[in-house]
Amino acid sequence: MERRREGRDASPRGNVRVVDVETGEEVPISHKVPVGPNHPILKEPLRIKLAVRGEEVVDCKVEMGYCHRGIERIMEGMPWQKAAFLAERVCGICSHAHNMCFIGGVERTAEGEPAPRGLFLRVLVQELDRIQSHLIANAAYFYSIEHETMFVWNMNTRERVLDCIEEITGNRILTGWNVVGGVRVDVTEDQLERVLETLEKVEEDVKAYRRIAQTDPLIKLRSRGVGVITKEHVRRYRVVGPQARASGVPESDMRLQEPVYPELGFKPVSRKRGDNLARILVRYDECLQSIDLIERIVDELPEGEHRRELEIRGGHVDHRVEAPRGELVYDMELTQGGVVRRVTIRTPSVPNIRVLEAIAPGAPTIADAVAVYASLDPCVACNERFVIVDRDRGEILYEGRAREVMRECSRTTSGRS
Amino acid sequence: MRSLLKRLKGFVRSRSIHVTVVNTGGCNGCDIEILACYTYRYDLEQYGIYYHNNPRKSDVLIVTGPVTYQWREKLERLYRKVPEPKAVVAVGACACSGGIFNQEGGRVCGPVREIIPVDAEVPGCPPRPEEIVSAIVEVVPRLFRAWEFRRGSEHGAEAGG
Repeated sequence: MERRREGRDASPRGNVRVVDVETGEEVPISHKVPVGPNHPILKEPLRIKLAVRGEEVVDCKVEMGYCHRGIERIMEGMPWQKAAFLAERVCGICSHAHNMCFIGGVERTAEGEPAPRGLFLRVLVQELDRIQSHLIANAAYFYSIEHETMFVWNMNTRERVLDCIEEITGNRILTGWNVVGGVRVDVTEDQLERVLETLEKVEEDVKAYRRIAQTDPLIKLRSRGVGVITKEHVRRYRVVGPQARASGVPESDMRLQEPVYPELGFKPVSRKRGDNLARILVRYDECLQSIDLIERIVDELPEGEHRRELEIRGGHVDHRVEAPRGELVYDMELTQGGVVRRVTIRTPSVPNIRVLEAIAPGAPTIADAVAVYASLDPCVACNERFVIVDRDRGEILYEGRAREVMRECSRTTSGRS
Repeated sequence: MRSLLKRLKGFVRSRSIHVTVVNTGGCNGCDIEILACYTYRYDLEQYGIYYHNNPRKSDVLIVTGPVTYQWREKLERLYRKVPEPKAVVAVGACACSGGIFNQEGGRVCGPVREIIPVDAEVPGCPPRPEEIVSAIVEVVPRLFRAWEFRRGSEHGAEAGG
């Protein structure tokens, strides 16, 4: 098996062949370029192994496992009040989505309905969170194609959105805003007005950035037609979120099945090309759509209490929420009273990073492969749910070696049967 | 004359700082707050601090996150790569104490200061960009300005002993 892997990496695909004159053996002319785990464009630790021939990328492997902290294990045996904070700290960028998904799951096992005003406020903060997450994703992409002006502009606009989040929830990033039965604190009319005022400026900015992204020749040169995710890829790798919507799959939006959105007349956006530029533009479209949704939420905000007492019955529940990066699933088992027995989290970045192995080999240069990675809006902190440990030696196996071991195991078991 | 030269070296060194940010398994919250330091509102670059992310060229290592087992050796190696004089700033509750992950079931090996020497700690989950900026701006030049003199005295002590 070891030999086969070597052989695949060494033999150049294409017409170029270099042969050693003395021995007559083919000389490998591909190199391996490791990117990470600490790299200028990566916010988080991850290793991408690129096999290149000259500048052309021929193969790509993603190695993960640097971020595994054992959150699911820590959560076991915790009451929901504590576990909600841990759920939030799975990922700092889409923290509100994690919190909302966990609390939503607990509420489904409870008797009675949560307060409608609480649900609306939850969605309001969720949309603000989506705007800031999309802006930082686009900023990271522009940084990866070395367009620093757009990077700083996007980050500046994001500061305004964070101001809105701070206005409502009291904190910038990790908010602890959702509780079972509603939200922690009520909002006032003044706060909502200030949020809407700030969002007017954000809307102007985002429209300007979208226009620049559509017309700027530099951005077009690096982004149009690079890293195309086809519908076949979407189906095969289960790509979710804006990445799937940029490839013409609007049904992938889980907001269609969430409680509040149908009342707001929500319709997902989508684009067809599926390349880097389409993903950037879909995110800008969604930012503008989120601003519309927030305006509608403020208009239709129901009166009444913001939080209700609910009695948690416990049981097995599977809850889904559309996080900024795609579909987020919490599969939980709770006891009566709300102590977590077991929780399994599936985050949107898992399939989205996996698809990189399929689309990066088409990239014309190494820099483009890195840009493709950034355009997928990866979030490594979300990803790390488990590590595979070699019991005999007590060492942690990384992705590549773990795969080999798993393949070996499956082969030996199939050989026995 | 030599002392003047040393003082000049220290002054110049403390005015041009390159930083490397290392996420050792945190939740990203601190990393995006560090990234937010580069916006106009906080503007870390006006103090001569540049985001470089190449450990061999940098002066300051900003470490976030509880150190996971996978990072332990790599963090030590990364620390050795940074040339002298160097400073380490631990940002966030996780880096200062292990935070919420440092409890039963968590696969982290404790706070950063147990693995590499830490010069400044910024608590908070995540700390605000103002706090991160003020920590770097206050602590780091203080360490670098007197470094030439400290190095001289260390060499003198070695020669005397």
